[in-house]
Parts: sequence; C-alpha cells; structure tokens
Amino acid sequence: MSTLPLVDLLGYWLGIFLTLSILSFLYKDNPFYKLAEHAFIGISIGYIIIQQYYNTLRPKLVGELGMGHWLALIPLALVLMMIVKGLSQRFGWVGRYPLAFVVAFYAGLQINGVTSADIGKQVERAMADPVDYKTDVNTADRGELFSLGLPPAVVDGIIKQRAQKPFTSLGQIADMPDLSAANRADVRGSRGPIVGLDSHASIEPGRVNAFGTFSQILLFLGLIAALIYFYFSVEHKGVIGKVSRFGVWILMIGFGASFGYTVMGRLALMIGRIQEIRGDTMPSAVADQVHGPWVALASIIIIVGGIVAWELLRSDAPPAGPAQGGDDGDDSDDADANSNGEPVGSAS
Amino acid sequence: MKKQLPIILGMVIGIIAVAEFYVPASGMRGIKTTLEGWALVLAAAAFVLGAINIVQVNYPKIRRMEPDWPYKVVLLACAAVMMLTGVAWHTFGGERANGSVKIAMGGGATAPMIKISAARDLALIQIGNDAPLDAATWRKQGGQVAVKAEVETPVRVFMPPEVKGYEEYNATILLHAGEVATVKTDLVMRWGKEGRVHTWLYDHIFAPCNATMFALLAFFIASAAFRAFRMRNTEAALLLGSAILVMIGSAPVGGYISDFFPDLRNWILSIPNNAGRRAIMIGAALGAVVTGLRVILGLERSHLGSD
Amino acid sequence: MADSSNEKLHWSVRLQRFDRRWVFLAMAVAILVPFILPCNVPYKASPMVKSLYYTIEELEPGDEVFVSLDYDPASMPELQPFLEALMLQLKRKNIKMVFATTWYSAPPLVQRDISELVERPIEPTGAYGGLPDRAYVKNKDFVWLGFREGREAVISAMGNDLWATFDNRADDGTPLSQIPMMQGYKQLKDFDLVIVVGAGYPGVKEYVQQVQARYNLRMVGACTAVSTTEYTPYYQAGQLLGLAGGMAGSAEYEMLVGRKATAAQGNDVLNAGYLVVILAIIFGNIIYFVSRKRKGGAVR
Repeated sequence: MSTLPLVDLLGYWLGIFLTLSILSFLYKDNPFYKLAEHAFIGISIGYIIIQQYYNTLRPKLVGELGMGHWLALIPLALVLMMIVKGLSQRFGWVGRYPLAFVVAFYAGLQINGVTSADIGKQVERAMADPVDYKTDVNTADRGELFSLGLPPAVVDGIIKQRAQKPFTSLGQIADMPDLSAANRADVRGSRGPIVGLDSHASIEPGRVNAFGTFSQILLFLGLIAALIYFYFSVEHKGVIGKVSRFGVWILMIGFGASFGYTVMGRLALMIGRIQEIRGDTMPSAVADQVHGPWVALASIIIIVGGIVAWELLRSDAPPAGPAQGGDDGDDSDDADANSNGEPVGSAS
Repeated sequence: MKKQLPIILGMVIGIIAVAEFYVPASGMRGIKTTLEGWALVLAAAAFVLGAINIVQVNYPKIRRMEPDWPYKVVLLACAAVMMLTGVAWHTFGGERANGSVKIAMGGGATAPMIKISAARDLALIQIGNDAPLDAATWRKQGGQVAVKAEVETPVRVFMPPEVKGYEEYNATILLHAGEVATVKTDLVMRWGKEGRVHTWLYDHIFAPCNATMFALLAFFIASAAFRAFRMRNTEAALLLGSAILVMIGSAPVGGYISDFFPDLRNWILSIPNNAGRRAIMIGAALGAVVTGLRVILGLERSHLGSD
Repeated sequence: MADSSNEKLHWSVRLQRFDRRWVFLAMAVAILVPFILPCNVPYKASPMVKSLYYTIEELEPGDEVFVSLDYDPASMPELQPFLEALMLQLKRKNIKMVFATTWYSAPPLVQRDISELVERPIEPTGAYGGLPDRAYVKNKDFVWLGFREGREAVISAMGNDLWATFDNRADDGTPLSQIPMMQGYKQLKDFDLVIVVGAGYPGVKEYVQQVQARYNLRMVGACTAVSTTEYTPYYQAGQLLGLAGGMAGSAEYEMLVGRKATAAQGNDVLNAGYLVVILAIIFGNIIYFVSRKRKGGAVR
C-alpha cells in the first residue's frame, strides 16, 4: 500500500507510547502509567458492552422479542432482575432468580463435562496396561504406527514396504525408497534407545520397552500417591504418610514443570511487545512508515522527562496526609504488586 | 419464600441440564438449547451490570474529588466514547449507497469502457481478477479501462486491509459494444463494532495496553525468582529442580547442548507432571460433581446470599 | 537506592535487600540483546507438536474443520504465529474452515487474521519450500460465525446445534442455509477436525470437557505456555490428538510447516530470558543458604 492515513500512523505511535507508559510502572507507579491504565479500563468497558450487545443481547433477546417470540420475555425478566439487584439493596432479593438459574445451569453442564472428560477418560488412561509393549512395525495397524510419531508419508511407506518384505531392522525405515529428505532426516533424528524410536518400536511382537514400563508404573503410582495426599479423611501417618509424601513430591515436580512453562509464557508476552514495537508483527510496508524503534525512543524520552518533572514537583510540594500506597523501590514490593507479582494500580 | 422459589428454579434447571446428557429425546435437547440461549443472554447481561457498577463506584469519587479523580474521568470518558462509537450510526435513517453506476452510449462503435472515480485516494479499484490499483494510480492511468462486451465484469472498490472500517462497493456490469459505464464511489465510513473509530480505539489503545499489562509479568517473575523462591525443604528443591530442567529443555540452547534436555523435559511432562495433574483433575472433578449436585439439590445456597 | 550503612552489612544481607529494579533491568537487557544479536539456535519439534502437525497433514483436500479462536491481544505473541502457520497448512491442503470465538476480545483480531491470512495468500518468510498459498473466498472456502458469550454454555450449545448458537447466520448476516459449505455441518461432530486455539478460559479444557468427550471429536489444540502442563493429560489420554504449547510450541509448529517467523525469533530470545530466571533462582538460593549459615553460626 502507499501511505498510511495520518490518523492510523498516529494510532500506531499512540500504541507504542501507551506500551512504554505501562512499562514505566517497573520504575514506580506514575501518572503516565495511571493514565494508560485508566484509559485501557475505560476502553475495555465500552468495548465489552458493545460486543455483548451486538453479538448476544441483540440477536438472542431484542431480535427474538422483535420477531414476536414471547418466550424471550423470560430471559428479559431475568436480566431486569439482575439489574435491579445491582441497583437496589431493598429489592436485591429478586437477583436470586437469575443467579439460581445461571449457577444451577452451569453446575449441570460442569457435572456432565467433568464426569466424562476429567473422570471417565482420565481413569481409563490411568488403568491402561502398565507394561509398555513396543509397536511391531511389521504387523501394527496404521493408528499404532502413527502413534510412534512418524510422518504420515513414512507410515504409508512402512505399510507398503512390509507388504513386499518385512523389516529386519528399524534402520531400514529411514532407508525406504521414495522418502523425502526431510522425512528421512526426521526418522533418523527420532532414533534413540531410551525415549526414541528404538524404545517404542521393534521388528517383532512382544518386545517390552523397559524404560517405558518403568515410566508407566511410576505414572500410576504417582497418581495413586497424589490422590492419597488429597484424601484427608485418614490421618497421614505411617504408610499413608509416606505414600502421601511421595505424592507431594510428584505434585512438586509437576508444579515445577508448570513454573518452567509459566516463565516461558511471561517472557513471550514481553517478547511480543518488543516484536510489535520493532514492527516484526506488521506488514513491512506499514512498519516502514511507523518507524517503531524511533517512536519508542522518543516516548522513553518524554516519559522519563515527565517522571523526573513529576518527582521534582512532588519533592517540592508540602507533605500530604498519610501515605496512599507505596510506589517506591525497596519496600514497595507488597504495595506495588500482589502475591502473584502482578501490578495493582489505583483504579477501582 | 424469597429463597425457596429460587432454589426450586435452580433444581429444575440443573436437573434438565444434567438429564439432557442421558435422555436422548429430541424434546429434551430442544429445552436445553433454549436454556442455553437464556444462559448466554444472562452471561452477556452480567457484563452490562458490571459496567453499571463501574459507573456506580467511580462517579461518586469524581463528585467528591477524591485522590486520582481526574483519572476516573478519563476512565468514564473512554468508556462512553467506546460505547458511542460502537453504535452503528451510519445505518440510522437507512443505508447510504457506496456508489452508483450510470451506463450511456459512448461515441462510435468502440469497445465498452468502465470509468471509475473514487472519492477516497487510498481506495483500491479492482476490475475482474486484475490486481487492485489505488485510486491515485488509477487516475494517472486515465481513470478508465476497456472491457469485453456481453461479459459480466465484476467491479470492486474497497479500502486497503490496513485501513479498516469502511464499506466496500461491489457491482457486476454487463456492457454492450459502445457503451460506457461511469462508476462513482464514496465509500461509507462505518460506525459500530466494525467501524473505523471503534476499531481504531481497539487496535491502538485496547490491544497494546492489554498486551503490555501482561508483559509486565515477565519482569515480576524474574524478581520473584530471585527474592522468593527458596529451597527450604525437599519439596521446594524438587519444584525448583524440575523448573530449571524444564526451562533448559524448553530453550533451544538446551537441545543444542544435548538431546537429553528436551527428552527429559518431555518425560517430566508426560510422567510426573501428568501423574500429579491427573490426580488434581480427578479430585477437582469429583469436587465439582459434588458441589454441582449440592447446588442443584438446594443444599448449597451461599450464592443466593443471606436473608 | 543505596543504603549508607551498606559497607557494614554482609554481602548476602546487602544482596537480599537490593532494589528489584536491577533485576528488571537485567531482564530487559536479556530480552533486548538477542534481537540485536540473534543466535538462531536450531531446535527440534516435540512429540506433541509433531502429532498435531501430522494429524492436520492427514486431512484430505475438501475436508472441513472448525477453528475456535479464543485469544486476546495479550496472548498473540504465543498464539498468532501458530495461527499463521496453521492457516498456511490448512489452505495449501484446500481445507475449508469455519471460524468462531468464545472470547469477547477476539472478534477484531479474528477479522484481521481473516483479511490478512485467509483472504490473501500468506507471504512466505525466509526460504519457504512449501506449496504456494491462495486467497480464500468468504462463505465459499471459509465461514466466520462470530462471537457468542456464554463460556461452557456456548461450547455445549455448539456441540448440540451450531446453527442455532449463531442464530442461523454468519457474522456478516448471510443465512447459513444459503452457504453451501455449511450444509451438513450442524454440530461440531460433523467436522473432520476441531482445532482450538485457546488462551485460557474458556479454551481447550472447556472444549474437551463439554464436547470432545461427549461427541468423541477429533480435536487438536494450541494454548499459552501457562496452560500447557494442565492439558498434557488430555493429550496422553488421547482426548487431544496434538498440542502446541506456548511460543516454543508455536515455533516448533512453524518449523514443521516450513515457515519460520515471529515465534522462531522469539524462541531464540527465550534462551536469554530463561538464563536470567535460572541465574536469579540460583543466586537467590546461594544468598539464602549463606545467610542461613551465618545466622546459624551467630546462634552457636
């Protein structure tokens, strides 16, 4: 495209400025951050109302009533009851009806959902045979071959090849004719005795994957131990206590994995902001006009200058009443951030 | 009675929601579909109630000029602007046409021509399957093009995808030999949830702020890792050890050093993590079933408030 | 920030008290430097991501998939790269797509993705060796149904009756009865694959709970890193046929599709970020043990 309209260019610059205003919170709570935060909350509220009205309320309530479907008076009545509850303490009891409806309905949905998905299927998987048999490439069906993590083209090749001549070694899979270079490299790269292809596949039936069996047994025992930890009707003493402790260890290893992934998630969010400022996430024609890094630099200068001026004004001003919320460095950890380390601003 | 009737209502609704899964009758499914629609309406209306509540909380603070009251003005003003720009004002009083076509005879038995004028310089003009040209370039090339006679020719005038919130003009023109079609377009700027202003506010205020609020967490997690994560006992050591191994396994450099690290990460995810997660899942599911049944049977009433 | 009595305190005490904004600065430097000096460390795809890729590769031209895009601007760095690669993989196999969302913040993002990734050929980045992409036509190759609030209820409703959930219309108002590719696709189980790109709640978990188990759907998911460890049991139980978690998962998927883009770039930057966090944990614990030993020595 040729030239971005000025209003859109200013929009991108405003976005970069707001990004850096919010990041200025890392120094301390300041007017730039507060302004950005309140603007964001206000825009969010307006946005949500419009989305909810046009996507749900208008077709499913206003539209239904407009077409004369008088059954829609029931949800209308429930909505009005909900609003009355919010506006009036005296008549707040009418809000119980929509609450009862929603809570009971979602409870019903949850019962069905978790019973089949979280209990049924998970218990079924937990009760799977702990002995991990290797998949015999000469007799396994397509689904079993697919579960080895091989590309579909390789799976098809195996089925075709073994019909002519059974495999006598796993290395022959990578040597099959008609495989692309990428697939060949993929098969060779997936070989490995403990967790690779050699541990899951074999050329004859009945072979056991020793490490896999150990892992499946550990999976089952870990599940039982963790469930015992959560069972508080018996005192955790003696054998139960020891098993429960093992369950805690299993849980801690899992939480550690969660933490590792959480770090990845948090880093990705900041990485994304940098990519946006650099223009990596927008078409190059747009990025060339926005000049994100220069705008970011200008924004930093404005914000730093503004904060310095604000600090000077604050230090010159007469002392106010009791402190309104810590926003200084060392001792402000708890005031600035909640227990999750997330910022708590001053907006309601 | 103020509490009994809602409990009975909850019981009926909850039983229908649960029973539909087990009763294959189509009537049952129809009732549940209706109830689902009502639940969606209530869920959406809850946000409207939230907005009313925000005004109820912030307006008194502005009136009393409490500390930071100017920021509350900004909050309410932005909410109002976003709501107003989200209304499809351009559809009030009838839809305005984005363009018009007039067909007239040109001089002589020449090939049929289509002349297009676009009011907006950035508009893109596309004839048939040709690559679109912006209006300025189109004008420089004469503002018209010869087309085949007796063949329907699609004409499309639209704004570039980077400039959102405008209508587009589409027409299919059938011309005979010697005819000239004059197409005049002035693309209507939309209001409403896909409108120019509303989308601008979303793209340039909501999106960057939303993303950056969460991006702050990258820094806080590093600070928390330094100041709070202590190996006080075996459990904490297992947690931190597992975290470090998973991080090394997830980083490309871990795999570059040795395949052992990503393999170990995959094993930690598949075995100890899944064992613990499955236990939590089963436990939470049992709790959800019990609590759900208590709500439906009216044994759990805390959500209805006190008398 | 300095304490005038620092020189009287043991280094472990000083380090325990030092301003956390230095840690912020270290993290900022760690994230910025790889952008200037990229390492481009190679990486391999994990089994979950490979499984996701191969499941989609198994689709036949003309198959129809349901794609739920449940994300917001905050989750875009992790999920947008996955989505771009997903669109490329689906379009080059001529798979028809039906889009919907259960997140209120998603519609503008979905519309932007549709106009940039679906209605236009996706530009290859770097040395892309795959089949060229093409522009899809609305209501012929893809349908955008829109957003509905309701979380589990709307997911359950889609499983039950997709048309009624969206009031029998696409988001642009076209009646679904007039869209040929929607004929015969009235419930989620009618689709050849359900793909959930979820940033949180509702997302992959709610789809598995409400519809996958009930209708035995073929389903794959992409999620943020924070949720990955929660969904791996579903993958192990076969309820999800593949799972791409976080930016790393998106980078692995980009690599498999053959179009390395922003996730691959971000994956490289993760090296430095992880290093800062790991060093923070190690140093924090060194300081802790040293100060504990000092206190223990003082008591004795």
